[in-house]
Amino acid sequence: MDERPDAGDPPATNVEGDQPVIDASMETEDATVHEEGTELERTITLTGGLSIGVGTMIGAGIFVFPGLAAGRAGPAAAASFAIGAVVALLVALPASELATAMPRSGGGYYFISRGLGTVYGTVVGLGLWLGLVFASAFYLVGFGHYAAAVLAEIGIQLSVNPAVPLGVLFGALLTGLSMTGTERAAAVQNVVVGLLLVILSIFLAYGSLDSLGLFGAESTPERFAPFGPMPVISTAALVFTSYLGFAQVATVAGEIEQPSRNLPLAMIGSVVVVGLFYVTTIFVATSAFSSGDLEAFGETAIVEVAREFVGLPGAVAILVAGLLATVSSANASILSSSRAVYALSKDALLPRRASEINLRYGTPHVALGLAGVPILLLTATGQVELLAEVASFLHLVMYGLLCVALLVLRRNPPEWYDPDFRTPAYPVVPVVGALASFGLIAFMDFRSIAIGIGVMIVSVGWYFVYADEITLKGQV
Amino acid sequence: MTAHDREHEPEPEPEIETDPETTETGTENESERSGDAGSGPILVPNRILETDAIEPGVVSLLSRASVVLLGYHELPEQTPPGQARLQFEDRAQNRLDELAESLELAGATVETRLVFTHDREQTLNRVADETNCVATLLPNPSMRLEDVLVPLRGERSVERVAGLVGNLLAGLDVSVTLYHLERGDERASAAVLERGRKVLTGRGVDPELIETRTETSRTPVRAIVRTAEEFDAVVMGESDPGVMTFVFGQTAAEVAERFRGPVLVVRRRGDEDGPADDPTVPVERSEDSTE
Repeated sequence: MDERPDAGDPPATNVEGDQPVIDASMETEDATVHEEGTELERTITLTGGLSIGVGTMIGAGIFVFPGLAAGRAGPAAAASFAIGAVVALLVALPASELATAMPRSGGGYYFISRGLGTVYGTVVGLGLWLGLVFASAFYLVGFGHYAAAVLAEIGIQLSVNPAVPLGVLFGALLTGLSMTGTERAAAVQNVVVGLLLVILSIFLAYGSLDSLGLFGAESTPERFAPFGPMPVISTAALVFTSYLGFAQVATVAGEIEQPSRNLPLAMIGSVVVVGLFYVTTIFVATSAFSSGDLEAFGETAIVEVAREFVGLPGAVAILVAGLLATVSSANASILSSSRAVYALSKDALLPRRASEINLRYGTPHVALGLAGVPILLLTATGQVELLAEVASFLHLVMYGLLCVALLVLRRNPPEWYDPDFRTPAYPVVPVVGALASFGLIAFMDFRSIAIGIGVMIVSVGWYFVYADEITLKGQV
Repeated sequence: MTAHDREHEPEPEPEIETDPETTETGTENESERSGDAGSGPILVPNRILETDAIEPGVVSLLSRASVVLLGYHELPEQTPPGQARLQFEDRAQNRLDELAESLELAGATVETRLVFTHDREQTLNRVADETNCVATLLPNPSMRLEDVLVPLRGERSVERVAGLVGNLLAGLDVSVTLYHLERGDERASAAVLERGRKVLTGRGVDPELIETRTETSRTPVRAIVRTAEEFDAVVMGESDPGVMTFVFGQTAAEVAERFRGPVLVVRRRGDEDGPADDPTVPVERSEDSTE
């Protein structure tokens, strides 16, 4: 753990004898130019970045959580989502600064390994990979519930609940498609996200007006926080999974055009957009039904809310939107997870073979497999809340350390540290961001915390066994 | 003078449709006549991991050129370009060096660029802009180079297209056929072709090797492709003869798609978009400019 930011020393090797691939490069607005002249084109626009952020997030908060959250916290679940948004924003600001200082792919892992050192990097990197695996499994279980609801809607009765098998099946399909190379997947994703936002805006605008009594319907009288303030915070910890997407923008930081402008806009913008949607959704849902009813509706509560307002067409529109949203979230997470694997393998923290590219399809099939296979296993458990909380746990550790990395870098800025975006209200924002991130973990379910800590201990063990000679701090 | 220098000259007025009289007298004709029109590097893009060699016909066409040899590898969206670089950079760089050497042996000046990208179009445009390329080669196979077809349009682009052809082919034993699609005005066609011939001889092309041809057709792409079948390569301007552009897309791209040989597309300059190359230019303007 003796980290020396001395770039003069050649980097040491891992147990397989591989060195981190670290080479000087120059970032321009349109490309990354390496020393020997090889260029990497930046091709993701601001729209593409926002679509990754919003597309990853929107699946969970609106289409899976409202019923669960309302059951736990009552109408105050809206406050839980607001707390989540504030925490996410407190992290998104420091993350934006780090991303414009180091616009390289790998996201939070990259910033922390360079800012704090290899052991933190390993914990966060493996945590990011597995955190996205847990998140993706969570989205797929959510998808399964929507697919099952569609089957129920068209009158197909099955003796067993088909939600989990459908989720696993679709997870396998998504992994397979991304391995064999999908044409224009990003363009499709942009359209899907746009469509979702339109459907939701119409639905929420109508629902809000209705809830405020404009159409004369009676709103459900219920106390704001029937279970007291503690469940509001623990619910915030649970639903924080709905805000994991903004950091996924940073995993493709190396591919975003005009990174100094687009990275902060995409990260902060997507948190603000989905935060507003979440809070409004919970407001509308808890106005239409009591929290007990919402809880009974479970994962697809929002469909019943739409049915209440607009009848069958509303229910169908939200079912379709729910399928699209959960698939888009799952897909984006699988891809981000494979990028985390690549970033680790490039730095010799995972075997070099993990970043191999398939010669036939041109896709990173090993990395995608390392994401896809555990996702299917976890999806099969069908444990929505546990999957969501472990995903949140692993991300919150990264977010907290991200804020710490910013503090460390700002206190003693290395020569290369020259971000275009600077966090406002420094050091309050990163300090509060770190405290809030670590604090939220304390409110999680015991099992989630245990699994999360287990993953971290294994990660530290992996570092000492596999790669304890490698120095990444300051190696940009 | 290079293309780069030319950029610093005063920009000519682009609004030909609002005031056709004044646009003919501006600085453009001065610079176009100064003898450098069509001079500058040529972008030669290659799908680097799938290209074994540059075809002999293409090598001859480029033997006197300054070439920006762009090797690119296009990736699916789920593959980070950096990851592909890790695996393929050495192979791609070796291949690119070999290709560059084959062009240099023939006499070309070569600058190489290696890019990993998700979007080929974007990369080509960026590199062409950064290096001030005057033309892009759409590299279809070609075994030999004996004759070249040069479809010309309105007189504005003649200087650049014919100028580039002159620079490339002067001193080579390659015949050039200047070609114009007539739109009911023989004098205009003749003027365009005559001006093209002047430019070519001015650049040192043997007058014996220059032929001219006119044709009448309502379907320019089909006419050009049909005529091109007798030739080994086509050099043409980027934009289309007029309104058809908006209906049928860019002529050059379509020609490249249907013609089996290489097509060298002369890039449009910033001041030339819009109807500047409209074939319905009044006759007196062509006469003016051939003065």
